Amino acid sequence: METKTIISASDDIILNLKVLAREKESVRRKLAVTAAKLAVTAKKLATTAKEKESVRRKLAVTAKEKESVRRKLVVTAAKLAATAEKLAATAKEKESVRRKLVVTAAKLAATAEKLAATAREKEIVRRKLAVTAAKLAVTAEKLAATAEKLAITAAKLAVTAEEKESVRRKLAVTAEEKEEVRQKLVVTAAKLAATAEEKEVVRRKLVLTAAKLAVTAEEKESVRRKLAVTAEEKEEVRRKLVITAEKLKMSYETLENKVLERTKSLEMARAKEESILLSIGDGLLATDEKGNIIFINKTAEKLLGKKGNEVVGKKFFDVIPLEDEKGAFISLEKHPVNIVLATGAKTAALSAAYYKAKDRVRFPMAIMATPVVLNKKTIGAIKVFRDITSEREIDKAKTEFVSLASHQLRTPLSTVNWYAEMLLAGDVGELNKKQKKYLDEVYRSNQRMVELVNALLDVSSLELGTFVIEPKSTDVCELARNVAQEQKPQIDARKIKFRLVCEKHILPMQADPKLLRMVIQNILSNSVKYTPEGGKIKLSIVLANTENILLKISDTGYGIPKKQHSQIFTKLFRADNVRDKDTDGTGLGLYIVKSIVEKSGGKIWFESPEENRGTTFYVTLPIKGMPKKRLNSSSNI
Amino acid sequence: MKKQPPKKKTILVIEDERPLLEIVNTKLDKNGFDVITARSVDQVFNANLEKKGLGIITASSIKQALDYLENLENIDAIWLDHNLLGKENGLDLVRKIKANGGRWKKIPIFVVSNSGGSETIQSYVNLGISKYYVKSNYRLDEIIKDIQTSLGQLKLKN
Repeated sequence: METKTIISASDDIILNLKVLAREKESVRRKLAVTAAKLAVTAKKLATTAKEKESVRRKLAVTAKEKESVRRKLVVTAAKLAATAEKLAATAKEKESVRRKLVVTAAKLAATAEKLAATAREKEIVRRKLAVTAAKLAVTAEKLAATAEKLAITAAKLAVTAEEKESVRRKLAVTAEEKEEVRQKLVVTAAKLAATAEEKEVVRRKLVLTAAKLAVTAEEKESVRRKLAVTAEEKEEVRRKLVITAEKLKMSYETLENKVLERTKSLEMARAKEESILLSIGDGLLATDEKGNIIFINKTAEKLLGKKGNEVVGKKFFDVIPLEDEKGAFISLEKHPVNIVLATGAKTAALSAAYYKAKDRVRFPMAIMATPVVLNKKTIGAIKVFRDITSEREIDKAKTEFVSLASHQLRTPLSTVNWYAEMLLAGDVGELNKKQKKYLDEVYRSNQRMVELVNALLDVSSLELGTFVIEPKSTDVCELARNVAQEQKPQIDARKIKFRLVCEKHILPMQADPKLLRMVIQNILSNSVKYTPEGGKIKLSIVLANTENILLKISDTGYGIPKKQHSQIFTKLFRADNVRDKDTDGTGLGLYIVKSIVEKSGGKIWFESPEENRGTTFYVTLPIKGMPKKRLNSSSNI
Repeated sequence: MKKQPPKKKTILVIEDERPLLEIVNTKLDKNGFDVITARSVDQVFNANLEKKGLGIITASSIKQALDYLENLENIDAIWLDHNLLGKENGLDLVRKIKANGGRWKKIPIFVVSNSGGSETIQSYVNLGISKYYVKSNYRLDEIIKDIQTSLGQLKLKN
């Protein structure tokens, strides 16, 4: 029994083992599945990791792209800002042009008004003339009516004459009847005795006849009265006719006078116009809006070597070819007439064009053109030009004179200078003290001459207009420092305390350094010369306002006497109080400085309230710089 | 710097005024230059040059003159006035010298003149001169010192 239990137990165990084995197998399979799933998951994770990596890289790239885009945006923003500035500038220019156009428009409006006013006047005169004509017509009608009345009255007179005749005949008949009756009376007288009734009848007949005679007499009287009235009326009408005739005559005369006056004034205006055009010393040429020539004046004909009828109707550009100094053809765009026609500019000028007329030498001309505008439209252009050969020659002569004068004056001065220099340097032998002293005087005097000649040449160049202004970017403070350094020997020799103060924000400005140097040097050397030993000089350069810089040079020197203040800037003037001190000067320095400062667009003035209390000079210069000035520039064309 | 005996510099002086030519010659000589003088453009190029100790050299063409000058002279600098004898002036000389190219183009030219407005000066500058002096505004020793300094600098540059 135990064996059976053991066997069944072992069977059970075996069963259990089988079950376990099956479970193990299933677990193993599950594990395998799980392992497979894990593998798959691991792969997925790897893939996901790779994707993550690639995404991360993409993000990095995107970040770089973003950065570069951001930089590009910054650049673009900068460009936009610049463009905005340009637009602002352009807007300003447009504004100023617009203002100029407004001015032009106003002028044109005024001209249009004048034309309208003139038109109105013309209309008024025309209406007056019409009225007068109407009055004339009316008067003519009245004349016709009066003539009719005359005819009627004449007819009436004729009728009245006939009536008179018939009445006369009736009178004649009545006379006959009267005779008859008388005879009958004689017969009846014989018959009187016969019957009283017959007498009565005859008496009645006599009464009737008498009545008839009376009536006839009345009629005669009324006809006579009528004739008298008609005669009066006739006289009345005649008088009226005479008056009307007089009035007509006056009207005619007045009208004729008016017409004569009008014609005269028109003639005069035309004659004036013609004489003005003829007498203009310059050539004048007028074109229509397409550039076809419509008129040239006599001077133009002479200058161009062409007659009016040769050029009218042709394009100005074809007929008048222009070239520049070197002989190169000047293109249409540069012609002033084309500029005003094509661009609507109010004026255009060309100062250096050459023209060769046949049989004449090539000559330079200065040209100025303006448009002719009516009702805001350009309908043509007017060009005025003249031969500037003599002006050019004068300029050339001036420059040559200055150049020659400078050479001729300076050459002997240089010779004395250098020979004295060499003697003083001992290059041709030793000198004793006295000889040196004398030679020193010669040398110094000569130096004064050199300064005077230099100053005179500057003055002449300023006055003849042969000086030039060549603005360059100049650091004013640096220049002032330079000039002060040059004067150091003199400043130190007089034991003067010198200070230079420069404001920090002053940027380099467009100035001709040569000229600016002359200005500062002149004023500074004056201060040094006219300040006694131990004095003080201060030179300061500041911004006066947004438009100007201010140079201020003040010293503790002799000052300028009040009553001579007005003469300080005049040529060769030196104030009395320095004339008797041991100083010398040309008297030209301040004249030169003032000319330079003013031609550069600046101002100069000074303060010196009391003698021996020092002087302060002020110079302002525009920050926008000195205007460029070339030689031979006739800037006032 | 190692001291070597400096070679004497030769300077060609072209000036029309005799007294000035003489004194410039004397002073330059005192300052250690060899001086060749001329008074006109013609003289320079027809080589009527008085070289110290070698007598007069003649030549019949510019090229010949230049050949001579090239071989015989070693001109280190030119002192040039604007107004000269004859028809040509300083500007013409500069143009001719520059036009010859080569070594001639590089010789420093110092224009020392009393004439000439800004246009003339600008023409010289445009042609490439080294410096322009207004004669009467400078001492002789100042100009010579300036030339020596410029040449010293040029030597260093070369």
